[in-house]
Amino acid sequence: MLIQQLSSKPKSNITTAITAHGVGMVFKSDSQKFQALADINLSIPKGDIQLLMGPSGSGKTTLISILAGLMTPTAGNIQLLGEEITSMSRKQLTQFRRHNIGFVFQGFNLFPALTAAENVEVSLNIKGIGGRKGKNEAQMLLAAVGLEDKGKMLPKNLSGGQKQRVAIARALAGDPQLIMADEPTAALDSQSGQAIVEILHQLAKKRGATVLIVTHDPRIVNVADSILYLEDGRLQPPKFTPTG
Amino acid sequence: MVSIARKNLLEDIPRFLVAQAGIMFAATLVTIQTGILNGFSRSTVLLIENSQADIWVSAAKMEHFEETEPLLMAQVEQATQVKGVKQAEPLILGLGKWQTKMGKLNSVRLVGFAIEGELFQPGNIVKGERTVLKKPYTVMADESRLTELMIKNIGDTAAVTSLPVTLGAIAQNSQSIVAPPFLFSSLENVNTYLNSGFTVELNCTMEEGGENLNCTKVYLKTPEKLATPPIKPLSLTDPITHILIKAEPGQDLTTLKQRLAAALPGTVANTTAEMAAKTSTYWKDRTGLGIILGLGAAVGIIVGMVVVSQILYASVSDHLKEFGTLKAMGASDLMIYGVVIEQSLWMAVMGYLPAMLICLGVSSWAATKGIIILITPGTGVGVFGIVVTMSIASGLLAIQKVTHVDPAIVFKA
Repeated sequence: MLIQQLSSKPKSNITTAITAHGVGMVFKSDSQKFQALADINLSIPKGDIQLLMGPSGSGKTTLISILAGLMTPTAGNIQLLGEEITSMSRKQLTQFRRHNIGFVFQGFNLFPALTAAENVEVSLNIKGIGGRKGKNEAQMLLAAVGLEDKGKMLPKNLSGGQKQRVAIARALAGDPQLIMADEPTAALDSQSGQAIVEILHQLAKKRGATVLIVTHDPRIVNVADSILYLEDGRLQPPKFTPTG
Repeated sequence: MVSIARKNLLEDIPRFLVAQAGIMFAATLVTIQTGILNGFSRSTVLLIENSQADIWVSAAKMEHFEETEPLLMAQVEQATQVKGVKQAEPLILGLGKWQTKMGKLNSVRLVGFAIEGELFQPGNIVKGERTVLKKPYTVMADESRLTELMIKNIGDTAAVTSLPVTLGAIAQNSQSIVAPPFLFSSLENVNTYLNSGFTVELNCTMEEGGENLNCTKVYLKTPEKLATPPIKPLSLTDPITHILIKAEPGQDLTTLKQRLAAALPGTVANTTAEMAAKTSTYWKDRTGLGIILGLGAAVGIIVGMVVVSQILYASVSDHLKEFGTLKAMGASDLMIYGVVIEQSLWMAVMGYLPAMLICLGVSSWAATKGIIILITPGTGVGVFGIVVTMSIASGLLAIQKVTHVDPAIVFKA
């Protein structure tokens, strides 16, 4: 793998990437209230691969949305890379995500009309890297995930594993310190899933990025530094233990 | 910068083509309606704008080019005497009945002008020559109205108000859409046609003091049909319709108008531009034709907006998750709106260009039928502006949907 080729931004001295204190989330609909999350307290060290596991409906998606700054909790506060994000405005949150967070989605969320290289380039464009530099970096990122020869292909012509690699290359654009991955292996066969896990593992360890992965996949447990287990909106003692 | 907008549009070619067909239709509708309105407006003033006159003198009660009261031939001479006038020529307009050899009747507008003169230009003569109109009972018609007159070529004959008529020349770009076919000829010929079937009695009395001679001309219907009376030169008491004036070089037209009005009581003097504006305004505003054609153009704009809105809204809805992904990745609102607006602009341009080609084709075809669909560079720019505005307005509606996208949508499988 060519993860080493990727440029790294100067890292700050903070040691904790994600901190949550008393985070709660209540959804209101008409006269009904639904407590999706309650009293979440967590601390994820920088550079760790952190798994977030739990049964369907346990609140995993809500929690990762909040931790990624896509949703505002109804209680508690969150610090990402030492910055309090719960008090940020929508615009500030957008800027924070742009420069600090990369996303990997279960359904890949690639732009079907764009080639693999263009999908990565869009992410670079958002971060202000355009033109020839953007194209070169997109190509380099694709090479880093082993897809140097697939840059001109449309997503529909790529396999599931290749699409997810493009998504990872896109998440790496701009060298973010946080990667939020939602079920990154769920749509992949065993071999592809393993390869994706391997890439994520290298990314976290060799670049010092922190990776938060929501998953049901027990194969990932081996590469995780720690596991959070969520049930009924509350953190529980983990049912798996990292063995890697 | 990767153009998501353009790529999204071209992702589904059949849908894109359907969308473009809608915009193209709307742009075509607006252009054709505007072109007809402009063409209609232009056709009503063709003869005025083609003239080399600086000023038109008409009866004070003149409504427009064709609707006025008569002046007297003598006033042409009076006008020539006014300081600053280089040249003055009479113009006669009148209605007549065209009768084909098979007895079919058609109204015609007779236009008599000074053949040797320079101020009146009856369109572009494409067959025959201007001087041939000096021949007795010889006229020129516009190419677009020959079918209506049931004649085809030079030399074809018919009758006007019981007198014979021969087609001596054919013109283009001389005919008003709203007027009956124009028949151009010499002042003498037209005067003869207009007075045929009548005998004239002239009674004059000298005013007290002996300064002015008041004359009354009485037209008496002749009981018997005349054969072909000899063509007589116009007398000072013959009625004319307008006097075309060419000013001396460097002459101030406003001052000259005032002098002409003073020298010719009961008349009004208009510059050529004023005359054209009066005539055009009359047809557009007072006949309701402008409103009707304007409404057509408005319908085109509304149809276009609805079509573009629907297409953009559907496109945005289909790509909602992609917009959510962009938001999650940190794309600014400006960038996301930019995608929708760029999409709107692409649709506008891609719909506008083929629409213009179609319109130019239709315009050329219509010209052969005598219908002016006037598509000027100004119309082209104006319609492009309308299509772009319409598309962006539609895009703004679609943006409302993007604005409300919850970026957390990206985590929903």
